[in-house]
Parts: sequence; C-alpha cells; structure tokens
Amino acid sequence: MNQFIFDIAVMLDNTQWSTLLHESYYMYNWVESTHVLTLVLCLGMLFLIDLRMLGYAFPGVPASSIADRLNMPMLIGFIVMFITGILLFYAVPVRTSQSVWFRFKMVLLVAAAVNAFMFHKRMNESVSTWDNDAKAPSAVRMGAILSLTFWSIIVIFGRFIAYDWFDCEYTDAGSLSQLLSGCINGQAQF
Amino acid sequence: MDNEKKMTDKEITAIGAGVAILGSLLFYWFGQFISTIELLELAYGSLNFFNNPLTF
Amino acid sequence: MLNSLLSQYTRSLILVAVLLLIVILEVLEVRAAIYPGLLPFFEWARSSSWLGLIGTTYGSIYATVEAVHLLSMAVIGGTVLATDLRLLGVVFRDLPSETLTKGTHKVFSAALISAIATGIFCAAGVGDKVYYMEVFWIKMLALVAGSLFVFLVKQPLLNSMPHDEINPWTIRLLAVTSLLIWFTVAATGRWIGFS
Repeated sequence: MNQFIFDIAVMLDNTQWSTLLHESYYMYNWVESTHVLTLVLCLGMLFLIDLRMLGYAFPGVPASSIADRLNMPMLIGFIVMFITGILLFYAVPVRTSQSVWFRFKMVLLVAAAVNAFMFHKRMNESVSTWDNDAKAPSAVRMGAILSLTFWSIIVIFGRFIAYDWFDCEYTDAGSLSQLLSGCINGQAQF
Repeated sequence: MDNEKKMTDKEITAIGAGVAILGSLLFYWFGQFISTIELLELAYGSLNFFNNPLTF
Repeated sequence: MLNSLLSQYTRSLILVAVLLLIVILEVLEVRAAIYPGLLPFFEWARSSSWLGLIGTTYGSIYATVEAVHLLSMAVIGGTVLATDLRLLGVVFRDLPSETLTKGTHKVFSAALISAIATGIFCAAGVGDKVYYMEVFWIKMLALVAGSLFVFLVKQPLLNSMPHDEINPWTIRLLAVTSLLIWFTVAATGRWIGFS
C-alpha cells in the first residue's frame, strides 16, 4: 500500500507541471493563499450553521433558513478548497504523501463527510418540529459539535503539514511515526 | 418627500469613511498589481501588459 | 449656529479631523520618525517576552495557535460574507437584514477578539521578522481601520434606523468597503508567511 502511494507520488512528481507549479515565482503561493482564504467561505459558513444549531448564533432565525441559504456558498468554497488542495498535493506529492499529518487529515476528511451526510439526513427528517427553537435537538447538536471538532482538527493538521517535525528524514527507522507516515525515501524528491 | 430628507450624521460619516478606506484599499491593490506585473516581467521577460522600459 | 452644527454633525466632524490628522502626520513624516523606536519592542517580544519564548521554544504550540488564528479568520470571514452579501442583496433576501446584522455582529466580535489574541502570539514569535515587512504593517493598518470602521461607523448606522430608509448606495458602499478591508487583512496575513 505504501509502495503504491509512493509510486503514484513519484509519477506525479516527474510530470512537468508539478515542477512548474512548485518552482514558479508566485503561482504556488497564490494557489496556497486561495486554499487558505477559501476557509472563510467553506468553514465560515459551516461554522455559522453549526453555531446556529447549538444556539449561539441567530437564535431567532429558523434553523432551516440559515442552513439552506449558507449551504451553497459553503459548497462553492469546498469545491475551490478541494481543487486547490489537489494542486498543492500535486506540487509536492512525495513529501506530502509521507506526511503523518496529511494522512490523518485525509482520514478526518472522510469522517467529516460521513458526519455531514448523517447530519443532513437527521435534519431533513425532523427539522419541521424544531425549526424555530433556539437550540436543535441533542442528536443534531451532537452532529454540529462533531463537525466543529473534525474541521478544527483538519485545519490544525493542515497547518502542521508545513512543519517538518515528523518528516521521514528526521525520524528513526522503525519508529511509530515512520510506520504511520509510510516512509519510503520521503525526502529524496519533492 | 424622499429627496428632501436630510442625511443623518451617521450616514455622512459612513459615506466619508467608506470612500476614504475603499479609495486607499483600491490604490494599494492596484499598486500591488502593477508591481507584481513588473516583477514577473523582470523575472521572465514575457509579460507585456504595460510598456515597461525595463524589458527589452 | 456653530453649536448646533457641532452637536448635529459630531461624527462627521470627528471623521474630518481624523482624516486631516492622518494627512498632517504623513506630511510631517511622523511614521518614519517613530519606526526605528519600535524595533526594541519587537525584538523584546520575540526574544524576552513570555509569548515570544513560548512561541519559539514549542513549535507545536505555535502551529496550533496559528491554526486557531486561521479558524477565527474563517468565522470572521463567514460573518462578514453573510452580512455584506445580504446588504448587497446576494444571499438571504428573505431574511430582514436588520436581524442578520445583529446576529452576525456578536459572532464577529467574538471571533475578532480570538483572532487578535492568537495573532499577537503569532507575531510575537516572529517579532524580529515581521518588523521589517511592509505587508505586516499594511495588515495592522487595515486591521485598525477595519475595526474602527465596523464598530464606530458601520454598526452605529445600521443599528440607528431601518435599512430601507438608508440610501441603497450608502449600504452598498459600506458592504463593499467592509468586504475589501477584511479580505485585505486576511490576504496580507497569508503573505506574511511567504516572505
């Protein structure tokens, strides 16, 4: 499995566009800035929805109207983050694929997606009964708390990817972090 | 009549502050745009949005 | 006559005074005179203050605070987008903008406090670096201008009367200015990390 990821990463790294993106004067910075600033659109909207469910923001506004109206900008933000995220990975594939933070982040993204799916299902089933309450029922509140937690950790781990504490070249062979990072010659290429 | 209604103090302040801040921000970002173009021209010599004497 | 003018247009006159003051300070080159005197403070923040010591000693704490700073930015941006796009009539058209403005303002204020607190920690950890960066000072300028604008100009007007009695172009000006100023604060912040 690790060998397979490594092979794909090396293959991506050997493409011309990956090098161009990595070594361009500004393009990498612009892509990264877009990725980070779109947090505002994606997580900003998501957090407002979650805070509404917990009763901290707009208690007087129906929950469904907050959720419906903010969903679209949130999805647009998510798509932009997804695309720029792939580009960032594509620019530095080998190191990123062997970053323990990146791997945790991907797992958490899946968890957040499952949580979002269940949250919507629960909400659509029952929203008519509590739409005007300041706080949503506890099952929905739980989903909101999980969503806040997952995404906060995703942002923290995303920030951690930029640091080299657990990069393969600085950790001992056979250590836990090497196992989790799936180290195969991680620093030989970008 | 609507047209004869006097603007309030708060609204005048808002317009004044808005114009001043928006103006300076646009000035800043336009300057950034120009200097970036010039830098990229210097670096690559290929961008010619403006007739820059530094590129040949 | 003068008295009634003063009491009727206090805010406008203060604004004119502030703008004049900025021009005078610029002409007298006060900025250049003060700048060297700030260096010791930034060096102290980086190497002797508690914040700087913690930030430079424990990389993981520094990175986590950076992430919290980003999360606060996300909430600030979310509330700014929701409010200003509503004022421009892009989203939430069925919700009264008075309700929305009041609701978002509380969240915005809390997130701004959190962003400033974490931001001071982040800046302290690289105090000797940001001092020399133009983009850092642009960000500080935009942050001060943005905070004054929101708390002393925008909110007082929007709270003072029903929004449909305010000239729509004034509202649009407010919304666009607020969007651009917070974008500037966020974008210059991101650029601090690149230089």
